[in-house]
Amino acid sequence: MSGSIVLALRLITAFALYGFLGWALYLLWRDVQKQGLSLANRRVPGISLTVRREGAASILKHFSQPEIILGRDPGCDIPLIDDTVSTRHAQLTYHHGQWWLEDLESMNGTVLNEMPVSMPTVITSGDEIMCGATRLNVALSEDVLIEPTLKLDKK
Amino acid sequence: MHDLTQSRLLRWAAFFLFVQSIILTISPAVRERTWDVNYRLAHWIGFFAWIVLISIAHRATIKHLPERDPYLLPAAALLAGWGLLTIWRLDEVFGLRQTIWLAISVLVFTLALYTSKNIGFLRRYKYVLLSGGLLITALTLIFGTNPLGFGPRLWLGCCGVYFQPSEPLKLLLVIYLSAYLADRIGTGLLSSRSTLFFPTLMVTSLALLLLIVQRDLGTASLFICIFTVIIFLVTGKRRVLITTVLALSLALVVGYFFIDVIQIRVDGWLNPWNDPTGNSYQIVQSLLAVANGGTVGRGLGLGSPLLVPVAISDFIYAAIAEETGLAGTIGLLILIWLIITRGLIASLRAGDRFRRYLAAGIVTYLGIQSLLIIGGNLRLLPLTGVTLPFVSYGGSSLLTSFIALFILLVISNNEDNEPAQLDDPRPYSLLAGVLALGLAACALTTAWWAIIRAPDLLNRTDNPRRAITDRYVPRGELLDRNNQPINITEGISGTYTRVYTYSDIAPITGYTHPVYGQAGLEATLDDYLRGLQGNPASLIWWDRLIYGTPPPGLDVRLSIDITLQSHADELLGEHAGAIILMNAKTGEIVAIASHPTYDPNKLDSEGEALSQDSSAPLVNRATQGLYPIGTTTMLPLIRAEFGAEELTDSELNLFYEKLGLHQAPAINMPVSFDTEHNSAKDLRMSPLQASLTAALLSNHGVMPVPRIAMAVNTPQQGWVVLSEENQPLEVIQAEAADEAALSFIVEGKPYWSHIGQANVDKTIVTWLLAGTLPNWSGTPLVLVITLEESNILLAQEIRNNILDAALNQ
Repeated sequence: MSGSIVLALRLITAFALYGFLGWALYLLWRDVQKQGLSLANRRVPGISLTVRREGAASILKHFSQPEIILGRDPGCDIPLIDDTVSTRHAQLTYHHGQWWLEDLESMNGTVLNEMPVSMPTVITSGDEIMCGATRLNVALSEDVLIEPTLKLDKK
Repeated sequence: MHDLTQSRLLRWAAFFLFVQSIILTISPAVRERTWDVNYRLAHWIGFFAWIVLISIAHRATIKHLPERDPYLLPAAALLAGWGLLTIWRLDEVFGLRQTIWLAISVLVFTLALYTSKNIGFLRRYKYVLLSGGLLITALTLIFGTNPLGFGPRLWLGCCGVYFQPSEPLKLLLVIYLSAYLADRIGTGLLSSRSTLFFPTLMVTSLALLLLIVQRDLGTASLFICIFTVIIFLVTGKRRVLITTVLALSLALVVGYFFIDVIQIRVDGWLNPWNDPTGNSYQIVQSLLAVANGGTVGRGLGLGSPLLVPVAISDFIYAAIAEETGLAGTIGLLILIWLIITRGLIASLRAGDRFRRYLAAGIVTYLGIQSLLIIGGNLRLLPLTGVTLPFVSYGGSSLLTSFIALFILLVISNNEDNEPAQLDDPRPYSLLAGVLALGLAACALTTAWWAIIRAPDLLNRTDNPRRAITDRYVPRGELLDRNNQPINITEGISGTYTRVYTYSDIAPITGYTHPVYGQAGLEATLDDYLRGLQGNPASLIWWDRLIYGTPPPGLDVRLSIDITLQSHADELLGEHAGAIILMNAKTGEIVAIASHPTYDPNKLDSEGEALSQDSSAPLVNRATQGLYPIGTTTMLPLIRAEFGAEELTDSELNLFYEKLGLHQAPAINMPVSFDTEHNSAKDLRMSPLQASLTAALLSNHGVMPVPRIAMAVNTPQQGWVVLSEENQPLEVIQAEAADEAALSFIVEGKPYWSHIGQANVDKTIVTWLLAGTLPNWSGTPLVLVITLEESNILLAQEIRNNILDAALNQ
């Protein structure tokens, strides 16, 4: 009799142990799911750049990707036809909810609002970037970060 | 969300420990199979202390580390609680101590959350911390003691409280290496070899010091492993790993030849079965515990893990495996894996390099230490005396583990910082992969011992669990042919003992004893007497599952007639020799005596002396004693086969072979036969062999199959006759056999008889062969008397007495 009771209890402990582990694994799987959803739903706020160059018409370009490379190379996101611009001159990246400007060790340097850029710097609407002799004006659209849709936990 | 996850997991952990505590409470009832027992209650102190302490830790983490990893604390808490209950189960004094240590550890953990959430100070004071740790460790060289009073002196102690400085030293080493390397990696100095020179020198000399002075193989190898992995994570160079593996192997080989502790450990690892009672005692007992656990384990409180030395610390994994089985240990390994992966994720998400290295180093320390000791318990690795983090008994170990947990939790609480830059993610995946492989190997090895090898291991005669089982499960009785008791079991569950009511037959029926093992029929009929054979397989399975024991044993009826047996024993008296009275047709042994004899009831006090006794009372002379035949003993049989012909030695040898003297008689008891004779005149035979050949003359030339175990009393079918596989064999022609028997007739008696003597190496053996005449209408009997002296008169007297008694019955 006692043996059967203890056998049942032993099965319950195995259930409790694997309940713990199963629950942990389930939550980890939910975590992965949530992480994926949150990345999939993340929207990069658009950025518009107006490229002005002496003796040429200004060009307006709009981007929605999180990484933009400026340079003379045709493969760059904004190819700048200017001899004072290096092949890969500077890059704009979106992280931590901000757009950042970073100089890619260009020959003539990158200047933001008349200050040389030596480290990644946050930019905002109305800023003026100088790559060599080319000026770019920055305009940001509304910052949209959509939270993933998740079931509310009942507290 | 984090808080909810953590509290739900902690509730599962508490539920697990609660049910385990209930099992432990009622385990004595299961063991003794009655409700009238002393229930175990002391461990509830540990359970409730665990609830209170872990709740405190849980609240403190919610308050101070809102973004912490929610899996680390529940996994560590479950391991600590599981270890705590196991320690309470093994030893209540140590259980109480471990509870106090858990309280201290949790209080330090909580206090640290309130005061030192910013662990940057560890980086600043790395040299102070490390030198402090080294200094305290160095003190053990002078003031070191061992709480057990022997063994390596690794502890500093006073007034009953002991502390092992090498435990926190592991953590201090991780802190120092992380800080040192994080400081230098940015400056570009790391590529130069000089940067690594100082820490390498330090770690190597530290490990050597620990090994040579302290004989602490485990900690020394752990230091080398931690150092290597951290350097590998920082530099990403695989040659670091290869160099270390080569260096460690070289150190092992060199150490094998020069350091005795390594030699003992390596020998015990490679060949544990050579020395199961000496240097390999621990590992063999550990494997037996794992094997006894099987798939679902015996249940907490129902195994015998205390048989393994130091089960509370070094061998706690074996104790857990025995009582929760493969299912429990796989869960335990997954818990360790959870801590490893969550720790490595915390490391990768850490805000700066120092924290990243620190978290990875702590994971390495916890992971490799777990693998070293679990692998050691399972004979996967040589045995190293380190603890299983969070689980094993040991204040220093538990406290260090909780401080490590605190650091991991703080690092995982990276609220809003972006993870630091990572040059090469491969070392981290490799580390995770290697640790996962190690844990998987441990799980597979546990399965190997617990399932595939378990039957072999548990049947080993040096498995002490068999003797423990015998105290709780009644062993079957040995009865004579009229169901008179010979060996019986007395007492109640928990105190069953074997009683030998007719002890003069001891050399034949043998004994079963917790120290001296088993002998004679007790050994050869063990499966029936122990209930492993003859019971339905479902009953055996069920009893094994719920009690971990075989079902009650079955009684076995022997062919012995206790009246004739006592007659034979009286007649032989103090003379050394043997008597066999056998049914010539069926081969049933009616009486079998071997003298000098002994009293198995007195084995406890006389066992040692008996095994040393030069007159060898433990030997069964009737079936295992080999005596020279001489030239005259076999005369009746030679007469039957050849008449009066003169025989050459090789002809005689061929005849003896035909009589079966060159092979062992087929009977379910220990027998011997002569394997090293050169010629027929040197041949020796046992009284049993002699009685089988003598049976030819009383049974018309047909040799019977000898039998002593007749029937077994099964629960379902009652007495079931044990059948024989062998068939009687016609060896000599019936007419010739009958004629020869008649020519050796004893005047006025219904039997024939012949006496022969052999004189070899100045020892004289008297043989007497006798048997009923072929025309005897009753049960045909043969009698063989072997005396280790020249005493024809005694032989004749025994013959007359026994045969008269047997034939007039």
